[in-house]
Amino acid sequence: MNNEELSRMLESFDNLKADKYPLKNYESIGKRGVRRIDGVEKASGAARYTIDVQLPGMLHGRFLTCPYPHAEIMSMDTGRAEKLAGVRGVLRYDDPELPESASLGGHEPFPTVVLPRVAHFQGEEVGAFVVADTEDIAAEALELIEVAWQPRPFVLDPEEALKPDAPLANPEALPKGNLDPESTYIEKHGDVAKGFAEADKIIEFKFTQGLNTWVGPERPCGVFRWNGEYPEVWLKQQRPHISKRHIATWFGGIPMNKIDVHCLYQGASFGGWSQVSWNLGGHYCAALMSRRLNRPVMWTFNRREDFYGGEMDEGVYYYKVGARRDGTITAVEARAVVTNQFLPVFGVVKHFIDNTRVPNIYGKTESVMINKGPTVATRCEQNSNCHSMTLVFNRVAAALGLDPTEVALKNDGAEGHDIDWLNRRKAEMGFPVRDSLKECLDKGRAAIGWDRNWHAPGTKRLPDGRMHGLAFTWTHEWDDSGGSSEIAIYIERNDATATILGCRSDVGVNAETAYCQIAADELGLRIEDVRYKGQMDAGFYTMTPDTSTNMSVNGSAVRHCARLLKKKILETAVAPRGVTQLGSFPPAFPDKKPEELDIRDSVIFEKANPTNRLTLAEFVGPSGAMGPLLSTIGEPVWAGKEGIKYPLRLTPPLFEHAWHVQRGTYIGVRLRLCRQAHFMEVAVDTETGEVDITRMVTVNDVGKAISVEGCEGQAYGGAVMAAGRGHTEEVVHDPNTGVMLNGNLLNYKIPTLMDVGEIDTVLVETGMGYGPYGLVGIGEDVATVMPTLIGAAVHNATGKWVDGFPVTPDRVLRALGKA
Amino acid sequence: MMPQTANEALATEEVINLIVNGDAYRLTVPSHAMLDHVLREELGLTGTKEFCGQGACGACAVIMDGRAVLSCMTLAVECHNRSVETIEGIARANHPLIEAYVKHHCMQCGFCTPGFVVTAKALLDRNPDPTDDEIREALVGNLCRCGTYPQHIKAVREAARKLRGG
Repeated sequence: MNNEELSRMLESFDNLKADKYPLKNYESIGKRGVRRIDGVEKASGAARYTIDVQLPGMLHGRFLTCPYPHAEIMSMDTGRAEKLAGVRGVLRYDDPELPESASLGGHEPFPTVVLPRVAHFQGEEVGAFVVADTEDIAAEALELIEVAWQPRPFVLDPEEALKPDAPLANPEALPKGNLDPESTYIEKHGDVAKGFAEADKIIEFKFTQGLNTWVGPERPCGVFRWNGEYPEVWLKQQRPHISKRHIATWFGGIPMNKIDVHCLYQGASFGGWSQVSWNLGGHYCAALMSRRLNRPVMWTFNRREDFYGGEMDEGVYYYKVGARRDGTITAVEARAVVTNQFLPVFGVVKHFIDNTRVPNIYGKTESVMINKGPTVATRCEQNSNCHSMTLVFNRVAAALGLDPTEVALKNDGAEGHDIDWLNRRKAEMGFPVRDSLKECLDKGRAAIGWDRNWHAPGTKRLPDGRMHGLAFTWTHEWDDSGGSSEIAIYIERNDATATILGCRSDVGVNAETAYCQIAADELGLRIEDVRYKGQMDAGFYTMTPDTSTNMSVNGSAVRHCARLLKKKILETAVAPRGVTQLGSFPPAFPDKKPEELDIRDSVIFEKANPTNRLTLAEFVGPSGAMGPLLSTIGEPVWAGKEGIKYPLRLTPPLFEHAWHVQRGTYIGVRLRLCRQAHFMEVAVDTETGEVDITRMVTVNDVGKAISVEGCEGQAYGGAVMAAGRGHTEEVVHDPNTGVMLNGNLLNYKIPTLMDVGEIDTVLVETGMGYGPYGLVGIGEDVATVMPTLIGAAVHNATGKWVDGFPVTPDRVLRALGKA
Repeated sequence: MMPQTANEALATEEVINLIVNGDAYRLTVPSHAMLDHVLREELGLTGTKEFCGQGACGACAVIMDGRAVLSCMTLAVECHNRSVETIEGIARANHPLIEAYVKHHCMQCGFCTPGFVVTAKALLDRNPDPTDDEIREALVGNLCRCGTYPQHIKAVREAARKLRGG
């Protein structure tokens, strides 16, 4: 490894301090009005999604699904389906070409049965995959398959599932009981017994969280085609690099460089679907049938089948909290039983450890299997933590008659230490020492009119007779997980526009425009001269849109790459541009040193004499008949003639590649410095139990905003999603049959434009993030932090705590003793 | 040959004349085919999206004879001798809604965006100066999972202003 490579590597790991390379001037970073690079495509209908792919001869595949919540296929007759006109093939669970298991997605290769014979939830794809000329014919053929099902006992409720005599929800995976013995998560510091002994007030409560889900607008789908020995795959998947890795394990192994992957625009799945181990199951079946039939195959789920999984916070939660009269929390003890965790379970009180001075904390999360679909991080795995923060702080404040914003400030800190301790750490790491929570609170309280509008619970009736409620919650930012990214930037020949190359998917958070902003400002290019181009074949596996870590990781990689590329451009500008058999081509800026030059507005210039300038386009020169690197300048070429002044221009390729690796706070390596605070105002009809969310204010300390509109979009978009999760969204199963009752957009209520009131989005920029320029992520925050805030707001309105989420009218009425 | 299934028994075909974005088509379509399917699969106009598939989300909106209709709920044979405008036609005409939507970041994943633009275009066609409440009322049937709602009001307002010469 040479010195340059070594320095790159060291830089990649050094993210435990304040940013080393802030810019003196920001041209496009943080400015409003930067045109989003996907805007016209998406507004005009030109944007292509996987579901839009149409290939010559393409067939369509659909799955048989189980009508029972738990059942085994005893026998299956596919004869009538196979004979239906337009059906090209039926793949059965007992097909000799199917392996016992294959790696079908998830974070790591994980053996999964491709076409199971046993279903563990109603709607599970089992037994058969029909391929036909159209999706309608495939669906019709599915109805002709005759299955002898052996239904099994089932259980849907997590507390019922824990009872000793409960039916086994998945005896294949958990033969001894429904509690997964390998999925218990313990977190603690201090001694909660001591903390409770020191408390003036002990508060105990329990709540349940219903199952909500992602509802990606684009249905799960994919296309597989074999071009001879080369598979070509279109993925509706957030993680093309992981998908390619899985696909490479199929059919005895496929070399990575033979797999062509396309990851078009993603009709959103918010993580969710992309992380389930079965998400490539359709691809596997499509791959097998595509090879057998020598035709491309698109597989799809229908809308209902997209509802089969959900967010990982479904479950039941128990809390015991100790506090002093002044609001100082002395101990938090929590236990959660969550359901069907596909990923490892996550803590319920980690935010208290990371985010507060509370000295005594204990949390235990357990996972129980029930007969519903898998649950997985869906914007995101920290929901349970955020529910804990919201309900504990608001419960403590209400029990003590205190203002919850004051209780928050009193307990702010980190890892059991107070804010003064945290401020000293900020200074040691070179960050500005700012009180992020207070700044967020000051702005949020002003925006919502807290001092004017907040009141004791159940004390403010509106003129229309409804009760007014106002509530607040907070937590830290999360650039939560570790991540890594590689990226490349290439200066195009002819016009010197820059192309950022990365293999990732676009889920719409405008990150790609933000990468362009970083590259433009670092390189000195006009923002309109930079484009992010998702490409899949050349590698450059960029961090995909999972977790809020994107901008820290990818932003660092882009910044690093742009810095290296600018260095290369300026070094090239002062050096002979090439030595060939035609001779040595003179420097563009003879007798200058790189540090004497700069680039601004896509022009290279001498800092001491700005009239000595060359546009970057002139510098790279046009491509020509002599190849892309060499072009004639106005005169005929007399190659080889002794003494000629060669009228040629040559500039070497201007390309750089860089990467970044970030360790995550999951393993406790970084302190949380930035905070967020959110407010919700509601009107509650105590006769009907209906709740109107009349106003939300979100305040996020993003450290440094790159795309201002992108940050705001994640805040108001998150607020809308949070309103749905907290208020209206729940996947409902019939307790008698185990059948999902509302797997559609008519009966699963995501918010409309009129279901949420005004949303104010406020950004705070303290520069205390570990990402480039001091930024932190924002993508998951608001949608995750705010859902249970509606419970606190309803309490402020009515004086009663609703003990289940979402806060539907029936639950409100039960809380009010009216149902 | 006897039909094998009930669905197949219903599967007759009809010839329809259809004008899409000003272009005339003569198409043979199954009687049960929905307009969105014909637009997407037969004409390649994939800007019209299917999200809910049951008339609950507006992603499939097109303008037919001046009104926004849900193409996933409209049989193609119902459109015989009628005129349909899709997002592609609106974009081709360089309607100011497109630029306003880009400027105001009315899209995130973008899957539902064409349906919003189409619905908004139908609104502005019949009401060149809508109030915010009228915009909300027009767009309330369009679902956006990314939650871009606050921006649409601004964009439609701005496009309306431009159309009025402002």
